[in-house]
Amino acid sequence: MSFPSNQSQQAQQSQQSGMAKLSDNYQPLDNTYDEASLPSGEIRDHWRFVLDNLKALDTDSLADRESKTQRILRDDGATYKSYTERERTWQLDTVPLVIDGEQWASIEPGILQRSELFNRLFNDIYGPQELIREGVIPPEVIFSHPGFLRPCFGIKPPSEHALILHGIDMVRTADDHICVIGDRTQAPTGAGYALENRTVMTRVFPSLFRQAQVKRLAAFFQTLRVKLNSLSVDDKLPNIVVLTPGSRSESYFEHAYLANYLGYSLVQGRDLTVRNGQVWMKSLSGLSRVDVIFRRVDDFYCDPAELKSDSYLGVPGLLEVIRTGKVVIANPLGSGILESPVFLKYLPAISQALLGEKLLLPSVKTWWANDPEDQAYMLDNLSKLIIKPVYRQQNQQSILGSQLNDEELKDLRKIIRQKPLKYVAQEYIAHSHSPSWQQQKFSSRPTVLRSFTVAGESHYSVMPGGLTRIGKTADDRLVSSQHLALSKDTWVLGKEPQRHVSLWADKTQQLLIDSEQEQNLPSRVVENMFWLGRYAIRAEYALRLLRTVFLQLNDADQLSDESYRTILVAVTSVTETFPGFAPREGKENTATILFENPEAELISIITDLDRTGGIVYSLNEMLNCADEVKVLLSADTQRVINDIRDNVGTLEHTIKTDFASAPEEALDPLVTSLLALSGLINESMIRGFGWRFIEIGRDLERAYQTTSLIKSLMSPVLNEYDEDATLETVLLTLETLVTYRRRYRARTDVINALELTVLDNSNPRSLNSLLSSLKQHIDAVPARQYSRSLTLEKRLSLELLNKIQLIQPVALCKHSKTDKRREKLFLLMKESQGLLNQLSVVLSDIYFDHTEVQHQVMAASWEDEL
Amino acid sequence: MKYRVRHLTEYEYGSKVNSCYNRAHILPRETLIQVVDTPRVVIYPTPITGSRRIDYFGNRVYHFSIQEPHTSLTIDVSTEITIRPRANDFGEQLAYGNTCEQVSQGLYGVGCSIETIYAREFLLSSPMIRKSERLQSFAASCFSEDKPFLTAVMDLTHKIFDEFDFDPAVTSVATPLDEVLTHKRGVCQDFAHLAIGCLRSLGYAARYVSGYLETLPPPGQQRMVGADASHAWFSVYSPGEGWFEFDPTNNSMPTFQHIVTAWGRDYSDVSPLRGVVFGGGSHQQLNVSVDVERHHD
Repeated sequence: MSFPSNQSQQAQQSQQSGMAKLSDNYQPLDNTYDEASLPSGEIRDHWRFVLDNLKALDTDSLADRESKTQRILRDDGATYKSYTERERTWQLDTVPLVIDGEQWASIEPGILQRSELFNRLFNDIYGPQELIREGVIPPEVIFSHPGFLRPCFGIKPPSEHALILHGIDMVRTADDHICVIGDRTQAPTGAGYALENRTVMTRVFPSLFRQAQVKRLAAFFQTLRVKLNSLSVDDKLPNIVVLTPGSRSESYFEHAYLANYLGYSLVQGRDLTVRNGQVWMKSLSGLSRVDVIFRRVDDFYCDPAELKSDSYLGVPGLLEVIRTGKVVIANPLGSGILESPVFLKYLPAISQALLGEKLLLPSVKTWWANDPEDQAYMLDNLSKLIIKPVYRQQNQQSILGSQLNDEELKDLRKIIRQKPLKYVAQEYIAHSHSPSWQQQKFSSRPTVLRSFTVAGESHYSVMPGGLTRIGKTADDRLVSSQHLALSKDTWVLGKEPQRHVSLWADKTQQLLIDSEQEQNLPSRVVENMFWLGRYAIRAEYALRLLRTVFLQLNDADQLSDESYRTILVAVTSVTETFPGFAPREGKENTATILFENPEAELISIITDLDRTGGIVYSLNEMLNCADEVKVLLSADTQRVINDIRDNVGTLEHTIKTDFASAPEEALDPLVTSLLALSGLINESMIRGFGWRFIEIGRDLERAYQTTSLIKSLMSPVLNEYDEDATLETVLLTLETLVTYRRRYRARTDVINALELTVLDNSNPRSLNSLLSSLKQHIDAVPARQYSRSLTLEKRLSLELLNKIQLIQPVALCKHSKTDKRREKLFLLMKESQGLLNQLSVVLSDIYFDHTEVQHQVMAASWEDEL
Repeated sequence: MKYRVRHLTEYEYGSKVNSCYNRAHILPRETLIQVVDTPRVVIYPTPITGSRRIDYFGNRVYHFSIQEPHTSLTIDVSTEITIRPRANDFGEQLAYGNTCEQVSQGLYGVGCSIETIYAREFLLSSPMIRKSERLQSFAASCFSEDKPFLTAVMDLTHKIFDEFDFDPAVTSVATPLDEVLTHKRGVCQDFAHLAIGCLRSLGYAARYVSGYLETLPPPGQQRMVGADASHAWFSVYSPGEGWFEFDPTNNSMPTFQHIVTAWGRDYSDVSPLRGVVFGGGSHQQLNVSVDVERHHD
C-alpha cells in the first residue's frame, strides 16, 4: 500500500514541526484551561518530558501499551460497578495527568487546611455545636440533614483527628485557579484505585516513570497504616479489619485491594459480632477480638440496632461498643454529613470561626434553596446551574440545568420550592482539559482530580497526586465514576529521583506472619473456599461426563438401546438434574420423548443459568465464591478465574454453533481453565487453612462424583457388549481409560475397573487416593475442642476410607443371572455418598458461620424515606 | 405529687432467640418539674451487657444485650417520681401570651436565644412526620396572625379531640399521617403526630412527648392494675415563653397526671424498645402493662 495512514501522516507532520505541539489535531479549547498545552498550542514545560516520550512511540506501540494496561487491570480483577450497569473492568488512560511539583506545593497547604477544617467541623457538629450557637450557620444545615446521626452525638473521638481519610474533588478553572467541587468523608473511594493505577503505569511505562521523577504514593499508605494501628486502645498488636458491604458493592475491588496491601482482614458485617461489649471476628480458630475497623460501609448501614434497622451490612450493637471506646471505626460514624454541599456555601465563615484562618482553597460557588435570596437566584438562573441534592443517594444524581427543556425546568423549580432544604445549586465550572489517548489519537478531556489526605500523628498528609478522572467525551460536563468516566494516574513531579519507600518500612510494628493471619481468616472466607473447591470439581466432572457422552452419542451405531439409556440416565443422576432422563416411577413417558431427542436436555444441563447441578450453574456459583475470597487469590489465579468467566459468558453461543458437528469441543476450553485452576491451587497457594478447605472441598466432591459414576454406570447389570460402553463412559470421564487398556489389555470388565477406580492408590483419581487425601486434610485442621476420642469429622473420614479400602471387588460384584444390578456395589456407593454428605454438614456446622436471620425489634418502614 | 410507676414489657417469640441488641427508652427523664429516683430495671434473661446514657435529646437510654438462648424477654422497670404541677395550668390565661405572628417571627432572625435556635430542630419534617399542605389546611382555621398562640394550639387540640375517634384497633406503630387524616381515627401516638405535623406545616416548632398517665379509678372502685398503657402527647414552643404541653387524646393540657419518659422529634426517636434479635422467627408477641399508682405518704 502506498498511501500512509492518517495517523502516521500526523506523526510525521508533528515530528517535522518539532516537539512543541502535542499533535496537529489536538487543539486546546477556548475558555478552558488546558493542562498540557499553552493557548498557543505549545506544550507546557512540565508536560514536555512525558509527552515527548509518548509521542516518540508509534501508534502501534502506544496501542500495545494500551492493551497491556487493559490486560493488567483485567488480570488484577480491577473492576468498578456503577449503580445501573454490571461490573466492568476499571478504565485507565495511558496518558497520566502531569502536575508540576512547585505548583503542587502551592496547593498542598490549602488541601491540608481543608482536612483540618473538616475535622474540626465534625467535632463541632457532634460536640459543642458552636457554629449553630454562634449563628455561623443556620441550625437547619445540621438538623435537616439525614446524615446527622443523633445516636452518634457526643461520642468522644479517640484522637484529636477523628476524620482519618478525606477525599477532595478539585478542578482547575479557566483562569488557572484550583476549586473544590466536593468532599468525601465517610469512606472515600479512590485511594486504592489510585494505587492500582500507579502499579499498572509503572509496569506499562517502567523507564518513563522512573525518569520522570514522579512522587511516590507508598508514604501515604504507610501513614494510613501507622494511624490505624495507633487508634487501637491496646498496646498489643492491634487486629484491624476492613469492613466491606460485600462483593456486590461498586468498589469491592478497592476494598479487597486495600485490605491486601495494608495486610488487614477483609470482612463483611456478618463476619463480625458484638459479644460482651467487644467486637469480634468469627474466624476458623474461634472468635478473635477486633480493635480497629477501617470501614467501606456507609454510616447509616453500620449498626441495625441503632441506625438503619433493616441493614444487613452492619454489626448489631457496634455503635454502643464504639461509645465505650473498645473499638475504633475510621472514618467515624456520622461523618457522612460533612459531604453536604451546603457547607461549601458557609465554608469561609466556618474557617474563620473554627480555625481563625482565611480559607485557602476556594470551593465552587454554592446556593442553598432554603435561603430565600439563594432560592430566588436559583429559580431565576436554573439553566446555568448544576442542581445537587443535599443528601447524596444512589438514585439521585446531579442535574445540569442547561440540559433541561422548559417543561423540566418548570418541574425542577416546583421541586425546589417544595423542598428547599434538600437542594443546592452550584455554578458550572468549565473543567480544565488534559490529553488522553483515545482511539489511537490524542484528544482532550475534561478533568477532575480527587486528592486524599490522611491523618498522621499530629497533622494531615496529602497523597501526592490522587485519582484523576476524565470525561467520556470532550464536552462531557459531569465527570464521575458513576457516569462511566475514565481514570488517569496522577504524576506529581519531584525535583530529584524519588526514593522507593516500602510500605513495610515502619519498624515499630511487627507484622502478622502468614500463618497467624491465615488462622485469622473469617469463617465466611473459609466457607467460600470450601465451596469454591466443590463447585469447581462439580463443574469439571459434569464437563468431562458430558464431553464423553457427546463423543459416544456421535458414534451412535455402537450404542445399543440399553447402554444408550443407561448412559443418559447416568447423566441425570450424576449431575443431579432430575427429572431429566430419570423421571420418577409412573412418569416414564416424559423421558421417552427425551430419549428420542436428547440434545435439548443436554444443552439445558450445560447452559441453564438456574438449573442446580448444571454446568453454568455450578460455574457461576464457583465464580461467586471466588469473588468472596478475592483477597486470597493470586494474580495468576485471578486471570484463570477471568477466563472462566469469559467462557461461561460465551458458552451457550459456542455450544449451539458447534452442536451439529462436535459439541464436545465447545467444552474443552472450560475443562482446560478448570485444570489450570487446579494446578494453581496445587502449585502456588500458601498451605494455610484457606488452602486446606479448598482441598477438602475438592477431594470431597471428587469422591462424591466418583461414587455417583460407579453407582449409576457400573452397578447396572448389562450384557458384556453394553457394559463395555458404560464402563467406557466412567473410565473416559475419570481419564483412566488409557491406563486401563494398557494394564488389562483384555476387554473391559467391571471387576478390573473397580480395582482401578476404587482401590488403586497409584491412581490419584481412585476413591482410595481421594479419601486418604481427604482424611489427611481433615486431620490437619485444628480441632475446635480438645478430646481424647476422635472428633466427628475425623471419624467420618476414617470410616469412609476404611469402607473403601476393605472392599473385595469380586464379592462386591456378585449377582445372579436375573439381577438387574449389583446390589452390594450399589449399596456401598450409596452409603459412601451418605457419609460424604454427612461429613460436609458436620464441617459446615463446626467451622462455618451460621449467622441467623436478623429481625428488627420494631419494624421501621419510615427510615426508607430518609 | 408522688407516683410509683411500673412498666412491664414482655416479648414472646415464636422460636428461640439466641442473642439480641437493644436500645430502650424506658427510664423517665428528669424535667423542670419532674424528679426521678434511680429507676430499678430488671431484665430477664439477664443481659450480658447493660449501660445507661443520656441521649441527644437529654433522654435516658438503656442499652443492653443478651447472649443466651431465650423464647421470652421481660423488661420490668419501677420508678418513683415526684412531680410539681406544671405552670401551664392556666385555664383562661392562655390568651395572654405571644400571638401566632409573634411566634412565627420570633423563631428566626438575629438575636435568637439558644433555646429558640435549638427549638428549630422541631420545626422540620422528621422520619415519621412529613410536613404537608394537607396537614396545613386541616389546622389552618385554628390559627390567625393576631390570635394568642396557645389559644390557637388549644383549639387545634380540641379539633383533633372532637373530630377523631380513639380506636386502638386501627393503628399500628407507624400509621402514616395521611391515613390517620383520612380515617379520622387512631391512638394517642397518632394524635400527637397529627398535631405536631399540623404545627410544623404551619411553621411552628413542636415535639413528641412519651410517658404515662394516671388514670383515675371510678369512685368506689379499686384501680385496675395494668390497665394503663404508655401514653403520648406533644409540646409546642413559643419564643421567650418556652415549651407548653398539650394532650389531644384527652383534650387538655397536662398538669400533674402526666409523667414524662422522653421526648424527641417523633416516636422513632423515643420508641420504648428498638434493636435486633437473632433467631426468634418472624412471629413475636408483645405485651405491655403500665401501672401508675399515686403514692400517699
